[in-house]
Amino acid sequence: MIPKTIRIGFDNKVAAVAIGGTEPLAFLGGPCAIENRDHAMRMAERIGTICRKLDMPWIYKSCYDKDGRSSPDSFHGLGTEDGLAILADVREAFAVPVVSDFSDAAWAQATGEVCDLVQIPAYLCRQTTILRAAAATGRPIHLKKGQFMSPWNMKNSVRKIEAAGNHQVLLADRGTFFGYNMLVNDFRNFPIMAETGYPVCFDATHSVQLPTSMGDISGGQREFIPYLVRAAAACGINALFMEVHDDPANALSDANTVLDIQYLERILAHAKAAHELRLELLDKWGEDDVHPPV
Amino acid sequence: MSTPPSDMLVGDVLLPLDRIAVVKPTTLLKTTLETMARFRLGVAAIVDEAGVLLGIFTDGDIRRMLLRDQKPFPALFADDIIRHATRNPTVIAPDENLARAIVVMEEKGIWDLPVVDKDGRLKGLLHLHPAIKAVLAL
Repeated sequence: MIPKTIRIGFDNKVAAVAIGGTEPLAFLGGPCAIENRDHAMRMAERIGTICRKLDMPWIYKSCYDKDGRSSPDSFHGLGTEDGLAILADVREAFAVPVVSDFSDAAWAQATGEVCDLVQIPAYLCRQTTILRAAAATGRPIHLKKGQFMSPWNMKNSVRKIEAAGNHQVLLADRGTFFGYNMLVNDFRNFPIMAETGYPVCFDATHSVQLPTSMGDISGGQREFIPYLVRAAAACGINALFMEVHDDPANALSDANTVLDIQYLERILAHAKAAHELRLELLDKWGEDDVHPPV
Repeated sequence: MSTPPSDMLVGDVLLPLDRIAVVKPTTLLKTTLETMARFRLGVAAIVDEAGVLLGIFTDGDIRRMLLRDQKPFPALFADDIIRHATRNPTVIAPDENLARAIVVMEEKGIWDLPVVDKDGRLKGLLHLHPAIKAVLAL
C-alpha cells in the first residue's frame, strides 16, 4: 500500500518536508534533549550540513521535557518556555522544520505553536487526552507505537486522532518489549501500520535501547543501529528517526543509545540508497502483493 | 427451477434496516461479529455514509477468512470489516417479484439477498426463511 503524503512545515520560513507516497526518505534527527542553546545550534549546523550534502529532507528533533526518565536524578529538560524558545531559534536560523514530543496535554498548544510536527511519546500512545490535544494543534502528529502495543491496535490511536479532526499522522516503530528490559523489532509492523493509510517511520536509536537495564537508566546496543536501519529501509519506511549527539558519553539523555554524529553520514547514505533501491524495485517489478487484502 | 406463482414483492417481506446488522466499512471485525450475533443472522451489510451498499460479510466469509488469513485472532479482530467483505454481492430491488427472488437465491445457493433501491441504497434484507414462509402461506 502506498501511504498518503503528509507535509511538515507550517509556514514558508522552513524547507517543508513531504513524508509518504514515493517521496524521498525523510530524516527526523537531533539530540534527544535540548541541553542548551549553543549545543542545539551546533548540532543543527552539523546535521544540516550532512543532510544538505546527501540531499536528504530533514526535520530537527529535540525535546524540552523528558518526562519518562527512569531516575528522579536524571536530567528532566529545560521546560516548555526555555526549550521551545531554543527550538524556535533553531527553526529560524536553519530554516528547518522542528519536532518535539510533549507528555502533558496542557503543553500541546505551546508545542504546536513552535513545532511543525508534534510527537506523542510511545508510553502515551493510547492516552486519549494526549491524542486529542495533539490533534487540536492542527499540526501533523508523529505517533510512536508503544513498546507494549501490537501494530494492528495502533489503528485505535489513529482513529482517536481522526475523530478529533486531524488526518496527518506519521506512525513510528521504536521496538517492542521482548520480556523485561529488552526490545526487538518486528519488521512486519511497517506494512501493518501502513494499512492505516498513513506513512511509517523507523526509530532506530530507541529500538536498540535496553529499557532501564542499568538499574536506574536505560542501556543500549548502538552497534546494531546500522543493521536495523538498512533492514527497515529495505522493508519499507517513509521516514527514519535517530537521536544524534556529538558527545554521546556526556549526553544528558539517552547516552547509551544516541548515535555519535561521526557515523551519521554513512548511515543516512545507506538508508537513502536502500530506500531508493526499494522504490526502484517496486516500480520495476510491482508492489508487494503476495497476499493482498481481499 | 420454475418460478412459483405469486403476486408478492420482495418489499413485502424484507427485513427492515432496524432488524439486520448494518455496519460501516471501517467497523472492526470484532464489532461486526457482535452485531451479527445480536441480530441472530449470518450476514452483515456494509454501507457507506449515504447508505449505499458496499458489500456483505457472511458466515461463509468467516470460514474462508479463517482458512486463508492465518494471522493471530487479535489482529483479525482489529481488521476493518471491508477487508474481508464480499464486494458487489448479488442484490435485488424491493419491487422485484418475491418468487423470482427465491429462484435467484436457489440458483446462487445463498440465504440472503440485500435489497437496494435504484441508487444502490440499502433498504433491507431478504432472508430465505421468511421469504419461503410467505410464499407457502399463499
